[in-house]
Amino acid sequence: MIKKKVTIVNDAGLHARPAAAMVKLASNYESDFYIHMYGYKVNGKSILGVMTLAAEKGAELELEVDGDDEEEALEAIIELIDSGFGEVYEDDEQ
Amino acid sequence: MKTMNSKKDGDMILSGVPGAPGIVIGNASIYKRRLPSVSEAFVSDGQIQHQLDEFQQARTKVEEELTQILDEQDEESTAELVRMQIEVIKDPELNKQVKQKIIDKNLTADAAVDSVFETYLRILKQNKAEDRSVDITDIRDRLIQVLHNYDLHDVADGAIIVANELSPREVIGFADQGAKGIVMDRGGVSSHAAIIARSMELPTVLGTQEGTSHITDDTQLIVDGRLGKVIVKPDEKTRKKYHEQIDKYRKVISEAKDICQSPNKTKDGVSFSLRANIEFVEELEAAKKYCAEGVGLLRTESIYLRKQNFKDVEEQLSFYTKILADTAPQPVVIRLFDAGGDKILDNNSVEQNPFLGWRGIRMLLDQQDLLEQQLTAICKAAADFKGRVRILIPMVSTLEHIHKVRTLLGSAQEKLRQDGIKVDESIQLGIMVEVPNVALQATLFAQHVDFMSIGTNDLTQYLLAVDRGNERISTLYDQRHPAIWQLIKNVSQAAKKEGVPLSVCGELASDPVSACCLVGMGIKDLSMNATALPAVKKALCTHKSSELTELTHKVLQTETIEQVNDLFSNWNNI
Repeated sequence: MIKKKVTIVNDAGLHARPAAAMVKLASNYESDFYIHMYGYKVNGKSILGVMTLAAEKGAELELEVDGDDEEEALEAIIELIDSGFGEVYEDDEQ
Repeated sequence: MKTMNSKKDGDMILSGVPGAPGIVIGNASIYKRRLPSVSEAFVSDGQIQHQLDEFQQARTKVEEELTQILDEQDEESTAELVRMQIEVIKDPELNKQVKQKIIDKNLTADAAVDSVFETYLRILKQNKAEDRSVDITDIRDRLIQVLHNYDLHDVADGAIIVANELSPREVIGFADQGAKGIVMDRGGVSSHAAIIARSMELPTVLGTQEGTSHITDDTQLIVDGRLGKVIVKPDEKTRKKYHEQIDKYRKVISEAKDICQSPNKTKDGVSFSLRANIEFVEELEAAKKYCAEGVGLLRTESIYLRKQNFKDVEEQLSFYTKILADTAPQPVVIRLFDAGGDKILDNNSVEQNPFLGWRGIRMLLDQQDLLEQQLTAICKAAADFKGRVRILIPMVSTLEHIHKVRTLLGSAQEKLRQDGIKVDESIQLGIMVEVPNVALQATLFAQHVDFMSIGTNDLTQYLLAVDRGNERISTLYDQRHPAIWQLIKNVSQAAKKEGVPLSVCGELASDPVSACCLVGMGIKDLSMNATALPAVKKALCTHKSSELTELTHKVLQTETIEQVNDLFSNWNNI
């Protein structure tokens, strides 16, 4: 089992579209995937669970992945979160 | 307010918001989404497996339905929603929890679904993340409907669906069955149902508020999706009028292809420009199809009406950028928020005379944050499309309005420069000529702007003192009125004298004979609903400029609207 902390960077937070994208990605992996946030723990492959977190921009999550392909899965999920789910505008980066 | 007008002897008319263009005549089919009345019965242990199977089958069916919608969906915002809904239906926790409820508590499948969704919806509400709960509720309702063997009721081919509100799934379901139009009590122009209706070319009127309580099954309706009107039980005369319009529309569409490809020139080679009035990204397709030379009027009110964070600069920027990228290298005339009047906003203030009240630039200058945001977004978008952006100020009635906007535009650009963002110095600033004093003082106003555009809809309303939304006096509202022609002539001469480009973006431009008259007057830049382009183009291409000038001379000599109508209907059989 591996764990890692990440911060949500996209403006809209983990709203419907990013949540759907993350759940879909996570479902491609065998490993179990959980998200811890401020004392809550939800199944990261459950969109309803992820959406109820209502994670805003700046929220800190702890990702917990457990299974044969855990490293691969964790890397992919972090990459998606760090990329801001394709939502960051160029002008913001200046 | 959206109201129901009823003339003593005439048609009953429901006013709403235009959702998807087009006109359709048909019989109403009232749809009330069956609220899932969940069974409270508990099942015996022997029944548990059956309930589990039922749930599994319902899940599969709903997932298949959604996947099919997704496959057929080009509109990205709707596709996103459907992808989210598919993830909900596949949600492993949801699946597990429903099964547990059935097994542990002997619940029926529908009761278990209802109970599990209830918990999630409650947490979403607690965590103030309700923005998607409508779409999640839609999935719950659909699952329960399937468990009850309940499908969308059958509708006759050509039916008009009248509902409180529809989900995208329901719009597509009814369209597949042959429904030809939609009337919704609720829903905004940017609702997913409206977007889908537009992409499926189903004439739609939204926000009728009480449509479902006034209309009964099988009542004949005319849905005018262009004007946002529903005529209930139309009389013979009205039906005839609309049938003619529908025929005309069809004919034009069928001829459009041929005309579209030829250059915009009169028979003797005088060039003119025809552009599109649009409000939504989806309308660009029609603009392209009918060969519009760019966007002559980009309405931005829908941005304001969208609730989901659409007001902020970045969201606006992406909207303008999309339009500019898609219409390159043509110009795009962006009209600042023209709210007020018939376009109701969030505020609760009810004015005695909204059309003479706090609207257009009058409102924007009081809500300066909003205006600054819009100008910033437009300037940012313009940076990547140099020389193509024109900003149009609505409802201008004093020079001060122009000066203030110019100052704010300057500061918006200066701020961007300071932030190291490139700025397009060539953005043009123009005004809508729609208040009579501006038309009368056109020479003066022309000296302070880069371009002008005549909005004939409001100009007519203000010049003739006719509320164009008031059915009782609707016969007095006619954009072809002799006085309008006189006033347009005045503006046209002033613009010429001051060397300021002038266009017409009101409905008058979309009337083929009137368009000929405008070009005859020297106004060679016209903008209109894209679907009107082919007919106008045909009229202009098949005449010599001398014929157009002659028509203009004649119309300027008319005294009554009857004379104008006679002149127009006898003119070269257009």
